[in-house]
Amino acid sequence: MAVETMTIEVAQASAVGFKAIGAGLAVGLAGMGTGLAQLGIGGAAVGATAENKEMFGLALLFTVIPETVVIFGLVVALLLLFT
Amino acid sequence: MFKVQRMSKLLIAASKDQLDPIVRELYRYNIFHIEDFVEQDAEGYEGFRIGKPMPNASKTSGDLLRIRSIENILGANADNADRGTLQKADALHKSIGDSLPEIEKEVNSLVAKRNDLESKVRDCDQKLADLEAFRAFPFDLSLLSGYEGFAAIAGHIPADVELPFDCEKFFTKESEGNLLVAVIPRSKVGEAETFLSEKGFVSVAIPKETGEAKARIEGYTHEKNSLSDEIAKINEQIAQLNAKHASFIVACDELLTADVERAEVPLRFATTEQTFVAEGWVPSDKVQSLTADLERVTGGKVSVTEEEVDYEKESVPIEYDNPDFSKPTEALMDIYSRPQYNEFDPTLLVSIVFPLFFGFILGDIAYGLVLLLLSIGLRGMVKDSIAGNQLLDVLRNASLTSIFFGVLYSEFLGFACPWEPFIMSRHFSIGVEGGHGPEAIILLIVTAWIGILHVTLGRILHIRNLYVQLPKGEHRSKLVFAQFGWIIVMWGVLLLIWTIAAIPLMPDLTAAPQVANFNAFLVLGALMIVIGIIGIGRESALELMELPTNIVSHVLSYTRLAAVGLSSVAIAAVVNYISIKMMIEPGMADLNVVGIVMIVAGLVIFLLGHVLNTALGLLGGGLHSIRLHYVEFFTKFYQGGGKKYMPFGKIRKFTEE
Repeated sequence: MAVETMTIEVAQASAVGFKAIGAGLAVGLAGMGTGLAQLGIGGAAVGATAENKEMFGLALLFTVIPETVVIFGLVVALLLLFT
Repeated sequence: MFKVQRMSKLLIAASKDQLDPIVRELYRYNIFHIEDFVEQDAEGYEGFRIGKPMPNASKTSGDLLRIRSIENILGANADNADRGTLQKADALHKSIGDSLPEIEKEVNSLVAKRNDLESKVRDCDQKLADLEAFRAFPFDLSLLSGYEGFAAIAGHIPADVELPFDCEKFFTKESEGNLLVAVIPRSKVGEAETFLSEKGFVSVAIPKETGEAKARIEGYTHEKNSLSDEIAKINEQIAQLNAKHASFIVACDELLTADVERAEVPLRFATTEQTFVAEGWVPSDKVQSLTADLERVTGGKVSVTEEEVDYEKESVPIEYDNPDFSKPTEALMDIYSRPQYNEFDPTLLVSIVFPLFFGFILGDIAYGLVLLLLSIGLRGMVKDSIAGNQLLDVLRNASLTSIFFGVLYSEFLGFACPWEPFIMSRHFSIGVEGGHGPEAIILLIVTAWIGILHVTLGRILHIRNLYVQLPKGEHRSKLVFAQFGWIIVMWGVLLLIWTIAAIPLMPDLTAAPQVANFNAFLVLGALMIVIGIIGIGRESALELMELPTNIVSHVLSYTRLAAVGLSSVAIAAVVNYISIKMMIEPGMADLNVVGIVMIVAGLVIFLLGHVLNTALGLLGGGLHSIRLHYVEFFTKFYQGGGKKYMPFGKIRKFTEE
């Protein structure tokens, strides 16, 4: 059985590994969330800008709003890795 | 500074015979933002009609059209024309009358010749295309036509066939898609076509030429080449004309554009039978000199009055008033929106904070240098574009702060410099046994502090705007209290957090004195939150829904300054690790063919990786820094929506009056 053969070193190493997996999931899933949110906003923003160039600033503003989500993912990943 | 240019509204009235000198003077000054007159039946507007263009307007615009057409043909362009000395308007007007018709005639005759030659080239091309199928047909093409009893058919066919009646037939595989030519009795044409089409025959027209197809193709190719040579000669002549006349033509364009704008400006004025009235905005500090000069050119026959203006209601054109250092940042402000007349103009703040944010994120000496070179190198490409130059200036400032932060972080292409970081370390030490990771937590806390202070500043600026824009009263106090509420809720939440956990770089209040068995600061924090919520709720209960996003996520959003920066350092570190490992371990260890390939591959990875990371750094650093301003900072106080100040006039480059 794997459990019986597990030493403290192995347990520590796998804990580090799980942290890394967690960090990866945090960034990856948060990134997908941001991507999904930006999908619609970005499309509409490009359309609006194509019709009226003055919309660019506002369109950019709307498009980057969901970006905070992935930043939170990144922050969580950093916290996981460096605490 | 912090306020846009102060504006005054002027009403200029004079009799119509003074129209020309007044318009000239206004145009020369280039400061009068005209308010277009709209005809209406309201009281005080009776008898006023929109003015008519000056008599020379239609002739001048006709001339301008001709000049623009010549400009198009010659390819003359104001951007690359020789500036030289300014040309006098009077002399130029005279030479437009004298030399323009000549140039126009010359240009037009060249263009007509070129068009003629081009149409001949097209004819040749068509004939060559028709003949191409018959290249392998070794007989005189004229033999295929001119019979009474026989007809010729030709075309492509997948494979040779025998026609089911007597005929003369030629077949070759040398032509693309095979060529079949048959001369058949006229009576059998229908039958032959049906038979052949079943075999996949596609007919082609037989060219009406005399002689063998191959010889004819050579003839036409030769003709086409000599025509192309002639066109090239004409293009050269046109280029010579351009070199000779470009500066004259662009100067004419500038002069006539000015003439047309002046001639058509009465369309924006109010007029009666004998008089006209122009209304518009002028920077307040220039009112006196403009008035004096208008009186001088008209000999006092003009009335200039400064109107009483309600700056809250009128839509005042907005011109920035910033120190030179902040001027480039106006481009970033324009992308969002110009400020309104009475609100706080944050351009100066943005011009200081934006490069700091950018540098904080990118913070690498080498990347900073690359972007600095880029901002200098691209200058040639934008030349006369004001916004382009401004953005490059912003990039220059941002790359300078990147270099500065690079020194503080001790970073060069992701490598550590020979000195210890002066502030937080962002080195990843990948592949180093027992190496320290970056001080991520400290970085995150520092950026959260930046967020707390930036957001608080935004709220304070909102309170300042309320005091300037609104009259004293209950409404204003309510709004001010609401903004104050936002601030104290945020700081109350912070107090609560500090009493619960000790966080580095933040006050530790866990061991503060007790009040009725509670931590004193916990009580204070809770009290602040309650008062704050009351303040916000009194203005609008709906806004309470925004409490979590506005307080928590807006502050935490600033942690991107640390997170995005760390990810850029991580990419650099990984690129360095992979490429250097490749070069040293398999590469230098055994210097044979494989080793050399490894070294080259390592170099390619190093270059590509860092080019990619520079691009990402520019995009990440720029977009995230500006986004923090647009979304987190501006939404706290900035309204925007100001109308751009567009004075009547033009900066002259080639001519002078």
